[in-house]
Amino acid sequence: MVSDIWTILAKDIKLDFRSMENFFSMLFFSIIILLIFAFALPADTHDHKTLAPGIFWVTFLLSGMLSLNKSFQMEKENGSMEALLVSPTSRGAIFLGKMAGNTVFIMIIQAMLIPLFSLLFINTAISHFGELLLLSLISTIGFTAIGTLLSGLTTDLRFKDILLPILLFPLLVPLLLASVKITQGILWSQGFQSELDWVKLLIGFDLMFLIISYLTFDFVMEI
Amino acid sequence: MRRILGILLIPAIAGCGWMIFFWVPAEASMGIVQKIMYIHVPSVMVAYFSFFIAFISSVGYLWKRKEGFDIVACSTVEIGVIFCGIAIVTGSIWARPTWNTYWSWDPRLTTALILFLIFVGYILLRRFTTYGEQQARLSAVIAIVGCLDIPLIHMSVVWWRTLHQPSTILSTQKNVIDRPLAIMLWISVFTMALLFAYLLSMRIELEQKTRAYLKQIANIY
Repeated sequence: MVSDIWTILAKDIKLDFRSMENFFSMLFFSIIILLIFAFALPADTHDHKTLAPGIFWVTFLLSGMLSLNKSFQMEKENGSMEALLVSPTSRGAIFLGKMAGNTVFIMIIQAMLIPLFSLLFINTAISHFGELLLLSLISTIGFTAIGTLLSGLTTDLRFKDILLPILLFPLLVPLLLASVKITQGILWSQGFQSELDWVKLLIGFDLMFLIISYLTFDFVMEI
Repeated sequence: MRRILGILLIPAIAGCGWMIFFWVPAEASMGIVQKIMYIHVPSVMVAYFSFFIAFISSVGYLWKRKEGFDIVACSTVEIGVIFCGIAIVTGSIWARPTWNTYWSWDPRLTTALILFLIFVGYILLRRFTTYGEQQARLSAVIAIVGCLDIPLIHMSVVWWRTLHQPSTILSTQKNVIDRPLAIMLWISVFTMALLFAYLLSMRIELEQKTRAYLKQIANIY
């Protein structure tokens, strides 16, 4: 099981870093979104301070969508989906492998975005780099757990590019609220400790959707 | 069965309407506006009840793979979305004179709105897939995931606003309900439940006919 997950994860990473297409498109998309926010919002630093957590997580959601979109699309285009499904791996291992792949990509992007975010919006953010990255990891697990499930669910459908965010974003409301609140705690006051309830909610969200998605993925991937 | 329901419904709705406007006294502080409660509250209850049935039948479908479960799930979701929409709209109309705003990010309102969006997504998913086993399977997964998300959404939304706003809005809502008003509310809930049962049986029959027709076409070609 673990070796299956690792194989799928390693395959995804290797494929992606060979061409770097997905990685660079995600990275530049996120940078552009941050820049658009910088242009669209008032230049007042006080406003930036209040808006910054929201900006950070909206950018996260939008760039994360790109990773989810291509996650199963890649298999479809190469016609390797069937091969993957008939191979002697459990559906659960496929799910966890794909999910781990998405998590790795989103985390690398997040690690690069935090300095830029700090530069553009709130200068003190860079001194909380570790906390923000840890928070990103917790949120990313919840995001990819449910995102990978829905990405697998929508791969075969018409209008999948629009259907995925329509289905995904309402489900992610608790995650978004919790992440924004914790970020406010990190940037404005004492850090994680001030928002412990939200941290618990976020971890609960992660665990719940990890289990639900793991269990329901079998039904999504039937042929 | 459905005929009886239909025949029962006409006097029930008419009687309920008459009672709302002529029998039950108006609420003291809000006046006549409060009468919208008899539509609003039952709609919310019917909406949540339909989503609950949709959840149960989606689980049933994935477990037993009987088409009947899928028919019930898609019918209840459609009815639930309509009643959820009615609840949000009547809630906004009620909120304008009482809370002095059409929309406030009150936890219950927000939860209802997100629920509405999730199940509109469900209906869209059904639209974008063609009739078949895949459609039933995928939409069942969405219904299950959506319903299990409700407690988390509600909890997060409650925390989100209670940290910000003092609950002045909530306190006006929690008035102790007077006896005739309570009776009236239950009568209207009962009427709405009848309407729900009638709509559900209609929708299920329609869905069965549509599917029979689709199967026939598939056999011809």
